[in-house]
Amino acid sequence: MTKVKICGLKEEQHVQAAKRADAIGFVFAPSKRQVTIEQAAQLAKHIPADTDKIGVFVNASLEEIEDTIAGVPLTMVQLHGDEPDELVEAIRVPVIQAFSIRTKEDVDQLKKSRADYVLVDAPGTDYRGGSGNVFDWTLLDGADIDSSRLIVAGGLNPENVHAAIGQTAPYMVDVSSGVETEGRKDSSKIQEFIKQVKDDSMEQTIEKTGFFGKYGGQFVPETLMKAVKELEDAYNEVKEDPEFQKEYHHYLSEYVGREQPLTFAKRMTEALGGPKIYLKREDLNHTGAHKVNNAIGQALLAMRMGKRKIVAETGAGQHGVATATICALFDLECVIFMGEEDIKRQQLNVFRMKLLGARVESVTKGSATLKDAVNEALRYWVANVEDTHYLIGSALGPHPFPTMVRDFQSVIGEETKRQILDKEGRLPDAILACVGGGSNAIGMFYPFIQDKDVQLIGVEAAGEGVDTEKHAATLTKGTEGVLHGALMKLLQDDAGQVQEAHSISAGLDYPGIGPEHAHLADIGRVEYRAITDEEALAAVISMSRLEGIIPALESAHAIAEAEKQAKAMTADQIMVICVSGRGDKDMATYAEKLEGLS
Amino acid sequence: MNRLEQLKSSGNKAFVAYIMAGDGGLGRLKEQVQYLQKAGVTAIEIGIPFSDPVADGPTIEAAGNRALKQGVTLQKVLEELQSWTFQVEIPLLVMTYLNPVLRFGVERFATECGKAGVSGVIIPDLPFEHKQLVQPYVDKEGIKLIQLVTLTTTDVRLNDILGEAEGFVYAVTVKGITGSRDEMSEEVKAFMRKVREKSPVPVYAGFGISKSSHVDLLRDDVDGFIVGSAIVEAFNDNRIEEIEPLIHAVTAAHSV
Repeated sequence: MTKVKICGLKEEQHVQAAKRADAIGFVFAPSKRQVTIEQAAQLAKHIPADTDKIGVFVNASLEEIEDTIAGVPLTMVQLHGDEPDELVEAIRVPVIQAFSIRTKEDVDQLKKSRADYVLVDAPGTDYRGGSGNVFDWTLLDGADIDSSRLIVAGGLNPENVHAAIGQTAPYMVDVSSGVETEGRKDSSKIQEFIKQVKDDSMEQTIEKTGFFGKYGGQFVPETLMKAVKELEDAYNEVKEDPEFQKEYHHYLSEYVGREQPLTFAKRMTEALGGPKIYLKREDLNHTGAHKVNNAIGQALLAMRMGKRKIVAETGAGQHGVATATICALFDLECVIFMGEEDIKRQQLNVFRMKLLGARVESVTKGSATLKDAVNEALRYWVANVEDTHYLIGSALGPHPFPTMVRDFQSVIGEETKRQILDKEGRLPDAILACVGGGSNAIGMFYPFIQDKDVQLIGVEAAGEGVDTEKHAATLTKGTEGVLHGALMKLLQDDAGQVQEAHSISAGLDYPGIGPEHAHLADIGRVEYRAITDEEALAAVISMSRLEGIIPALESAHAIAEAEKQAKAMTADQIMVICVSGRGDKDMATYAEKLEGLS
Repeated sequence: MNRLEQLKSSGNKAFVAYIMAGDGGLGRLKEQVQYLQKAGVTAIEIGIPFSDPVADGPTIEAAGNRALKQGVTLQKVLEELQSWTFQVEIPLLVMTYLNPVLRFGVERFATECGKAGVSGVIIPDLPFEHKQLVQPYVDKEGIKLIQLVTLTTTDVRLNDILGEAEGFVYAVTVKGITGSRDEMSEEVKAFMRKVREKSPVPVYAGFGISKSSHVDLLRDDVDGFIVGSAIVEAFNDNRIEEIEPLIHAVTAAHSV
């Protein structure tokens, strides 16, 4: 990321305002911004240790420069005069040599500099050392300057710094008069300038190339790049389009039945004796789970793009059913890929999809579960990319899918936030959601990410135990890798072969995790824990009997962890559990595994 | 000098053969390479098996699964190449998905490829946008990172990709995944001409080349052909000699 230098500071309040800068410049040459060694030393005490302190000189002697380095102390020196190469080389700290750029010849001069960094500026007027005039950045085009030693100055301000970075991609930007008001530094302009460089570029990195920290990206074959880019453009367009948003929300309320209640779980709260527990009722959605929120959004987008064929993968069958449902509603052709193992486990959902008019393709390759269904759906998309949209069901895949799925599922967290503020007048202390690929969890968590006091807990499937070979605890046990178009966390062997995941719940049976979750785990914003098959089944019973809600196996993982978490919380605290789906689809499994239940 | 450069200056149509390393056991790789070299192919792509090969069709995926069952890994393949003492006179390329490379370590991958005498690498799920993940490391070893272009590549991207192309350009002849296709459209011919016009390096057509008629159709529009599924199948069925006419159809001198 481009670094920021704020130059010509004379007052402590401005040094404080610049505390997020990477470097502070003190001017020791004649200028209205000139300071003495003593003044600079005083100001330097307020500068963080890892921030560079740079002294600006014009034709000073080596002795003078060395004394100042020792006196402040300085970590770098910036030269604005006609200093000879011998002087540049004699200085014991890194040196920046400044050049006033008028013509291409000046650019050639600069390239010969012996300094560690070169600073380009517009020609000065009254004093040497920069005038605040804007220099013509295009002079650098094709000049072949090593951008890792380039510092750009000259008339930068909060409004144009973005364009300057875009055009020159420098190591650092340097500002002085651009953050002043009537000849004096201005704290709010200093902060705004830093924000423009740092925050904006971070936001743009994520939005433009689809990375969350180091995770994400578009790791797909060239055959798919056009489709992925088109989707990215189309999604960026509808995101800001009020008409699209209106249509999306229309179907959410009139067809899906939103908004869903945030139910106070009175008996569960009493039974656990800890915090007040609320349940976000995604189980009440039409089709029985949160998946439909995303299916509607993407189907509307596909139609905007002129695509009337949909391909999708499904694990538990919930996403397949949601997709088949929406395709029936909008009269779209629908192909669903589903692993043979999952077809066995979820026969009712298979029949529902067929009843809705979808073609269900059985995938027998690999582990014959969700991962392999994604492979086949991707292959189908590659071969039919011109008229087909891949309606991916989780916050996975190449950019823009993880962002798009998150946005379409964020309705979960947005409603929850509104509802809890209504009911309790404050935000909850903890929120739990289950994580396979991670779509209900990211939709629930995303609106709370900035609310640092809300503890966010994602719950993975531990299968038969995270220390056995049969689990799907990607964040607990996985390592970095690329699968299905994104860099994320994966269950893989030493040779980079993706391993089979295991969970009693088909919806969590995936060896990867959405890239945003991988990032949130790395930065510690969300904590990820794992629940075994057995614990999840026990939670199915307790939730059914305490609240009259038979949860899906996936959701039962979040409930089981909530039961543990509640023990560490107190009666004046609030907990929210995302009940991502209802248990109808799992009845055969429940009947088998809980046989003899009395 | 990198063997790919020699290939470029030779002038004839190139025949690049793809084989799945370890299909039938890693011990077969050496004889397969020796056989193809003797049969007159111009270069050999050595495929590394991967658990989730989304860019491959059923033939190559099945070959990969057979190799995985034999316990074949990227490391074992590179060790096998490094152990060879016979003269490899034609360029060898490694074709692998990105994940095994990341797991192995990108820098180590480049170094070991260098030691194995590999001339180029092809990573189908590493698009142009992300190639810096690998490029600096292979550059150090003088190994080319081969880029792919497809019928769906937009003109803007095509210019970007060709602008930095090295070794050769892998031009995908069908929109789908690897495997045989019966029809080669005029659209493909026009696409090849466009790519060849703009490309600073030779253009080889791949993904779907299985018979002499494909070769005849595209002969004037490309610098060479990449044949994968047909060879993998022939090796698996122990009838590799049936591929020889195709090799000769490509490499034989043709009067225009």
